[in-house]
Amino acid sequence: MEPVDKKEELIRRIAVALRGHEGAKAAPRPPAGAAGTGAGADRISRFREQFEEQGGNFLAGPSLEALLPALGEGLRLSGVTVLFFPPEDADARQVAEALVPFGPFSLASPAEVRQPSPPRSAGVQSAEFAIAETGSIVQTSRGGKTLLPGLLADVHVALLSPAAFVDRMEECLAALAEDPPRNISFLSGPSRSADIEQTLTIGAHGPKKTIAVVFP
Amino acid sequence: MEPRARSFYRNSEKALANATLQSAISRTTGKFVRTRAASVDAFPGFEAVRHEGSRIKEETLGRLDHYLALFIAEAEKRGAAVHVARDAAEAREIAAGIARQEGITLAVKSKSMVAEEVDLNSALEAAGVEVVESDLGEFIIQLAGEPPSHLIAPAVHKTREQVSRLFEQKLGEPYTEQIPELVRIARKHLRAKFLAAGMGISGANFLCADTGSIALVTNEGNGRMGTILPRVHLAVASIEKIIPRLADLPVFLHLLPRSATGQVISTYVSVLTGTKRPGDPEGPEKLHILLVDNGRTAILQGKYREILKCIRSGACLNICPVYQSVGGHAYGWTYPGPMGSVLTPLLVGLAEGAPLPNASTLCGACAEVCPVEIPLPRLLLELRSDERDQGLKNPEEVLGMKAFAAVMSRAGILEALERVIGVLCQIFCKEGKVPWLPLKFSGWTDKRDFPAPVPQPFRRLWKKQRGIRPWNR
Repeated sequence: MEPVDKKEELIRRIAVALRGHEGAKAAPRPPAGAAGTGAGADRISRFREQFEEQGGNFLAGPSLEALLPALGEGLRLSGVTVLFFPPEDADARQVAEALVPFGPFSLASPAEVRQPSPPRSAGVQSAEFAIAETGSIVQTSRGGKTLLPGLLADVHVALLSPAAFVDRMEECLAALAEDPPRNISFLSGPSRSADIEQTLTIGAHGPKKTIAVVFP
Repeated sequence: MEPRARSFYRNSEKALANATLQSAISRTTGKFVRTRAASVDAFPGFEAVRHEGSRIKEETLGRLDHYLALFIAEAEKRGAAVHVARDAAEAREIAAGIARQEGITLAVKSKSMVAEEVDLNSALEAAGVEVVESDLGEFIIQLAGEPPSHLIAPAVHKTREQVSRLFEQKLGEPYTEQIPELVRIARKHLRAKFLAAGMGISGANFLCADTGSIALVTNEGNGRMGTILPRVHLAVASIEKIIPRLADLPVFLHLLPRSATGQVISTYVSVLTGTKRPGDPEGPEKLHILLVDNGRTAILQGKYREILKCIRSGACLNICPVYQSVGGHAYGWTYPGPMGSVLTPLLVGLAEGAPLPNASTLCGACAEVCPVEIPLPRLLLELRSDERDQGLKNPEEVLGMKAFAAVMSRAGILEALERVIGVLCQIFCKEGKVPWLPLKFSGWTDKRDFPAPVPQPFRRLWKKQRGIRPWNR
C-alpha cells in the first residue's frame, strides 16, 4: 500500500472510531495562568532563584569587564582549557577573547569540540530568552545558529541581556510560534541523572556547569 | 516485547522475595512521592493547570482525526517524512526499512515507551543496525539485557555495585562504587556513539499539531544529542501524543516534570520542527516521524478513551501501594502501575492482561495524582466487570462475590453471620488476629495479619445506642 493511503486510512479509521461519540468542542483558550508578571529587575531575580535552585551558576554585573575575573576563575576551576563560540556571535566572540588573559585558555571553533575525546571546553553563546518562572535559558537554531555550546561543552556560558528576560514560557513560545525554528531548546541548569540509586549526579551527557552571565 | 502479564502473580511473588529490589523500589517511589508533593504545594495554580491539561487532552482525543491530519500536513510541509504503522509488526518493518534506506549501521536511541512496546530494537538489529540506548538507565538495562522497570527510572532495580560489575564485564572499565565515576564512564562511551551514529531515535512527549513540532523532555541531555548530531532523526510516537497547539505546550510542561520527579521543569526541553534548513550548521538532514496506532483507535472508540490522555509521568506508579510492593517487571509488559493495568489489557487483550485490573486496592491515590485527571480506579473497575462478562473470572470468585452481595444486601443474614463469626472467633482468634483461613481465603492470612472481627459489630453498637446521635455526644 502507498504510504499516502495509509495515512488517509488512519485518519478515516479514527473518524469512524469517533463517530457516535459526543463531538468534542474546541473550547476557547482560558486566560493565561497564575504566574505573576513583574518588572525587569524582579524578573531577573526570580530567574536567578530558580536557575540556582536547578544547579545553575548566575553572574550579573554593570559591565562585562566587571564580570571577567569571576567568570575566568570559574572556568579555570572547572579545568577548562578551550573556549569556543559561534563564529557569527559578536558578543560571544568579545567575551571569549576577553577571557583569554584570565586563564590558560585557547580559542577554538565549534567543530573542533565535536570529537570523541574533546579538551575541557567552555561554549560561550548569546541566549535568546531567559524564562523567570522556570529558570530556563532558551537557545534556538533561528537564523542558522549553532547549538553546540550548550550541548557539547563541559561548561556552558550563556550571555543574557536584561531585555532577554520574560516571565513565562508562554511569552517565549508566542514569540517563536509563528515560524518555529528547527530547534528550540530550554536549558535549565546542568545535565543531570538520578538513574543510579536515585542519586543526583551532574554531567550525564550535556554541560556539567551552566553559567548565566547578565550584563547590559 | 512479548507480553507476560498473565504471570503477574508469579512475578509478584518473585519480586516480593527479592530484598534488593524491595529496597530500591521503596527508595525511588518514596522519593518521587515526596518531591512531587512538595513541588505541587509550591505551585498554587497546579489544580487549575491540571484541569486545563485534562481538558486539552479530551479536546484532542475528541477530534483526533482532525488534529492528526493537521500534524501530518504541518510536519511534512517542514520537511519531515511521516509514516503510519497500524500495528507493532508494521512499525518494526517501517523502522527497519528507514534504516536500510538511509544506510544506517549505528543508531543512538533516547527513551521511548512505544518503541519498547513494538520492540523496535530487535527489528533494527535484524536490519544490521547497532542500537545504543543513551538514557543512562536504559543504557544500563540494555547492557544487562533486561526490560525497563519504571517509566521514569528504568534501572531503578539495579544497585551501584550491580551497575559497576556490568560496566566491568561489558565495557572493560575498572570496578568502582562511586556513582559520579559510573556516570562519567557512561558519558564517555555514549559521547563517542553520539558522534558516530548515523541516526538518532527518539520518542515524543508531545506532538504539536499546528506546527508539526515534536517536544522532547529529558534531564540528561541525551534527547538533545541524538536529535542534533546524527544525520537522520527517527521519532517514534503513538497517535495519542498529539496536542492541538504549540501554545498548549506550557500547560504540559508545568504538569509533567512536577508529576514525574517534582522538578519545576526538566533540565532539557527540545521543540523540534522539521529538518536542517539552509545555513544551519547542524541538525538532521532527514526527519522521519513514525506514528503508531497498535490498538489505540479501538480504545478511542470505547469507554476506556480517557486512558489515552496519559502523558507518562509515572506519578500513578509511585503512589500505588501495589507498584510499591511488586515493582515494574511484575506487570509483565511495557507499561506498569495503575496506568499499565488499564492500558496493557486494552492493547494486548483482556485474556492476557486479566490479572492486572485486579492488581489494585482501588484506594484512589493514582487518580488523585494523575496530572491529566484520568479516573484510573473507575477504569480498573470497568475492566474487572468486562472480565466477568467475558467469562475470565474464575467460578469461585464469581460465586464468592454473589454470596457477598447476597449477605450484604440482607440485614438479617448479615447479623446472623456476624454472630456465627463472633463465636468462631472466640475459639480460633489469637491476639486480635485471625490465625488462618481455609482454601482460597488463605491469601488473606498467609503473608499478613488479618484483624479479628471486633466483639461488638457496628450494627449491634448502633442499635444499642439508637436515639443517641453520635454528633450530640
